[in-house]
Amino acid sequence: MKLAVISCIHGNIEALDAVLADIDTQKAEEIYCLGDLVGYGPYPNEVVEKIRSRGIPSCQGCWDEDIVDGLNACECSYPSQLAEYRGHLAHEWTDKEIHPEVREYLATLPITLKKDNLCFVHGSPNSQHEYLLPSMDGFAALERVLATDADVLFCGHTHVPYERKLENAALSVKVNAVESSETEQQFQVPLKRIINAGSVGEPRHGRPNATYIIYDTDAAQVTLREVEYDYEKTCQAIIDKGLPPIFAWRLAKGMEFAELADDPTHVCER
Amino acid sequence: MSDLNPLGTPGITLVAGPPGIGKTTWISQFLSDSNHPLFYLCPGAGTETSTEAIDRLRVGYCFPQVTVIDDSQAADLLMNLPNQAQVYIEVGFHLDLAALPFNELPCRKVAIVPPELAQLTAQSEWHSWANELVAGNNIQAPNNIPEFRRMALTGQVFDPPSLEVLLTEITGGAYGPVIRLKGIFELPDGQAFYIDFVEGLEGIEYTELKLVRSLKGRPTRLSGLEVVGHSLQQTAMAETLQASCLSDELLTQYQRQYRQHYKAAQSTDDKTTNQTEESVA
Repeated sequence: MKLAVISCIHGNIEALDAVLADIDTQKAEEIYCLGDLVGYGPYPNEVVEKIRSRGIPSCQGCWDEDIVDGLNACECSYPSQLAEYRGHLAHEWTDKEIHPEVREYLATLPITLKKDNLCFVHGSPNSQHEYLLPSMDGFAALERVLATDADVLFCGHTHVPYERKLENAALSVKVNAVESSETEQQFQVPLKRIINAGSVGEPRHGRPNATYIIYDTDAAQVTLREVEYDYEKTCQAIIDKGLPPIFAWRLAKGMEFAELADDPTHVCER
Repeated sequence: MSDLNPLGTPGITLVAGPPGIGKTTWISQFLSDSNHPLFYLCPGAGTETSTEAIDRLRVGYCFPQVTVIDDSQAADLLMNLPNQAQVYIEVGFHLDLAALPFNELPCRKVAIVPPELAQLTAQSEWHSWANELVAGNNIQAPNNIPEFRRMALTGQVFDPPSLEVLLTEITGGAYGPVIRLKGIFELPDGQAFYIDFVEGLEGIEYTELKLVRSLKGRPTRLSGLEVVGHSLQQTAMAETLQASCLSDELLTQYQRQYRQHYKAAQSTDDKTTNQTEESVA
């Protein structure tokens, strides 16, 4: 069975339409969305409406949460003062633009979705704001997957797609209980995987193209799809709708608008 | 240097060339000479202290023994040059070479030009003006006169990651195509950097200026940014610059931390020195 996993659309309806069309050509039977439907991009309402009308199950992303609860992330969301300034401009714009029913819908989104041995989250099982970077400590990464009781953990948030295999993990536990001798237990953890779907609407790989994942559950095979679309339409809409024009320039260059994880050890404390 | 003025008389050297060719860099090789009184002039660079030309600041910071003069002092200096003085006059790309008031002076006229142009005997405005051609950076001289923007930054201290983003954006053309950027920026650890970009050359060059660390309040020494390009969006650029500067509150926090850090480092150094001296004794 083929699944499509999409993430981080960020109000970019042109990119979403192109990706959905590409998914149709791939004959995926189900689509899962990892959140961040809104934020930075010019069409937040339209993106949410499209996801709802197609019946695509979605997790809640950090931007979706911020639009529901307001900005209260810790410093990890922004790598620089300039990024924070721009993030707040985008939040203010989106907050005014969003329709009440769209905000209500975003509030209903779950933090995690499960299907058999697969789990879907935006950032990590701990928080929509936590980055599971490919360079994250192996033990911590394994802990995140084990916490979901799944074999494959799909995430987004970093905007850079990757697949990480956690194999040959042997855990050794020594217990030195009171009034008893020391005991040692060994655990062999079966193969676990983290798969990051990249970003549909706000890529950070040096090109404006959207990315998403096709996952074959029978073969456990991951295919990264990169989809060209008319990004210039989105750039023009960014300017026409009063968002900062620098967002259009950065989108055209394949540079993320503002957020960028740079500390793989940071745990969000919000 | 010695072949310039074999008789030990005052010497005037005019240096011209397109933006980014390396005029200030070429002049800098002569500015460490301690045997002559040295003067540097950048005519038409403005005299308002709030918008000081970056070249003048850079020369002043890097070569404190050089007297940097402005346009209003030039005539007096040139009429009363000290014995054995050497004067370097950097001619900006925006000035008309044929109309320079210095052309009538007995001076050496050096044009820094792209290497391929330096080898040509064909005429260009540089060939007809200069009596010496020097190969500079391997760049394309612009076909039409570009725009020039200067922004004063004195007192501003930049958030380092924001500075990196804004320089990437400006040099990448986010605010209009840029062929040259140079600036002096203050950072929260009290250091100032000279930052240099030339279209056609690789990367952005960062040079730490060897100045006293500014760690008590906003720095009073001059800093600023100059951008040369086309259709430059100065308002948007200024907004990005402003959003990248530290607030009073943040600057105070940073400076307190850095003062403690340097104090602790100094204390460790002192202990190490004492221990070394004791062991030697």
